[in-house]
Amino acid sequence: MAGDTSGTAIRVARLTKRYGTVAAVNDLSFEVRAGAVTGFLGPNGAGKTTTLRILLGLARPTSGEATIFGQRFASLADPVRTVGASLEISGFHPGRSGRNHLRSLAVLGGLPSSRVEEVLKLVEMTGAADRRAGKYSMGMRQRLALAATLLGDPKLLVLDEPANGLDPQGIRWLRDFLRAMAAEGRTVLISSHVLAEVAQTVDDVIVIHHGHLVDEGPVDRLSGPKQVSVRSPRLADLAAAIERAGGQVSRAEEGVLLVSGMDAPQVGDLAFSAGLPLHELAPRAASLEEVFLELTTDDPGTSP
Amino acid sequence: MSRVLQSELLKLRTTRTALGFAVAGVLLVLLFVLVGVLAGNPTTIANKRAILSIGDPLAVVLLLFGVVGATAEYRHRTVAAGALIVPSRLRLSIGRMIAYGLAGLAVGALMLVVAFAIGIPLLAGKQGPSLTGSDYAQAIGGSLLACALGAMLGVAVGVLVANQVAAVVGTLVFLFVADPLIVAASSEVGKFLFGNALMAIGGRGGANEHRLAFGAAVAVILAWTAVALVIAGWVDSRRDIA
Repeated sequence: MAGDTSGTAIRVARLTKRYGTVAAVNDLSFEVRAGAVTGFLGPNGAGKTTTLRILLGLARPTSGEATIFGQRFASLADPVRTVGASLEISGFHPGRSGRNHLRSLAVLGGLPSSRVEEVLKLVEMTGAADRRAGKYSMGMRQRLALAATLLGDPKLLVLDEPANGLDPQGIRWLRDFLRAMAAEGRTVLISSHVLAEVAQTVDDVIVIHHGHLVDEGPVDRLSGPKQVSVRSPRLADLAAAIERAGGQVSRAEEGVLLVSGMDAPQVGDLAFSAGLPLHELAPRAASLEEVFLELTTDDPGTSP
Repeated sequence: MSRVLQSELLKLRTTRTALGFAVAGVLLVLLFVLVGVLAGNPTTIANKRAILSIGDPLAVVLLLFGVVGATAEYRHRTVAAGALIVPSRLRLSIGRMIAYGLAGLAVGALMLVVAFAIGIPLLAGKQGPSLTGSDYAQAIGGSLLACALGAMLGVAVGVLVANQVAAVVGTLVFLFVADPLIVAASSEVGKFLFGNALMAIGGRGGANEHRLAFGAAVAVILAWTAVALVIAGWVDSRRDIA
């Protein structure tokens, strides 16, 4: 696998998908950097899976287009070696063993049977490979789906909610797995409705809601504006001093102010010069989860 | 195409669906031959040949085999896994159709062995003229062809309908309700229906006023299969798959 870390891996341009009068995806545009791990985030029903299905040629857009390395999926010369995708954990016959499921896909892709053993080892499924897939636990099904995505040793992985149904150990395994994939230089697009599942893994995030793009960029930027948490027995005097110095204050809890527009040393220096005692001074960023919820929570009356 | 075919053949071998249909076929053939010989008392060439021409009842089983196999791809969502490797769904469907046609041949051959192993000794004790080499050849050829074409047509129907329950029920209703009603209304039209054409290929008696001649029946089934595949291919290419 030669990791392409330059340029754009995925480009979605003005994509719309309507089912009757309902727009599952609505004029959506974004790009995914090659070589980056990108989280594709949004609550359930936001349009993530529909977008991915269109990207992978499984659904037809109403308008707009989605391309992979500059081409529509159907036009890719060698799809199996370009994109590995997992959209459904139930995408296998329950009566067929995991190994035979992978063998059938390997034969279809013109891949050697030795590759099946390699990917089974990668996802730690060798021991269970001869059991029928219908008997697998949720975690094993997710691993089998991941094994299928890796068969062609592709440059791009597209994973739809791969952490769904996983227990904490499974999520940790998935996180390590994705890190390993990223370390090899692959581009990874991973969708989730739970930011915490992917926050520690992704470089960039794309957040959609009701089929619209609501934010995109490096995950660090999503963490929101920095604030300073400060505790003092003379809170009113401190608040007045901060506001006179150009900062903004809000009351976080009893006895604690949240200060915006100033960093912690500036607040400390200001309190010292004003002769105000401080019992606590700490930088604080809004959690990713808070920002995510703020971006994807409907205001009353605005929900369709 | 060879990769698609190999993959489909591997898929056929790695579930119990084909085995289940083969067992059902054996039971049907046993019933057909035993009842035909013991209760039918065949004494003419046509009646004796009909006992060994198991393509007549078996083609319907293989038609359902094709329907179930093709719709299982949608039911278990494996169709998407294939389309992520070979984006041309028509290519996948044609490969699947050929694979099921070959499986139909294999199942038909197995059933012929069963029918001949039981039927020939039983028929030897019956009065009337004995079957000749051409009679056996006609029974073998017609049965194999009916089985293969039945399975292929079933795949086309399955791809077209996609929903497994609807496809199976629809096929059964067409074969056992609509087909007889149409034949009763007009045998001239009815003999061109695929159920009757399959019977004419695999079955008994050759051409009569309600049946097409062998060659014409093959042409009719091929036409049904081609039309179903073209329509299914067009529908499938426009269908969003999960």
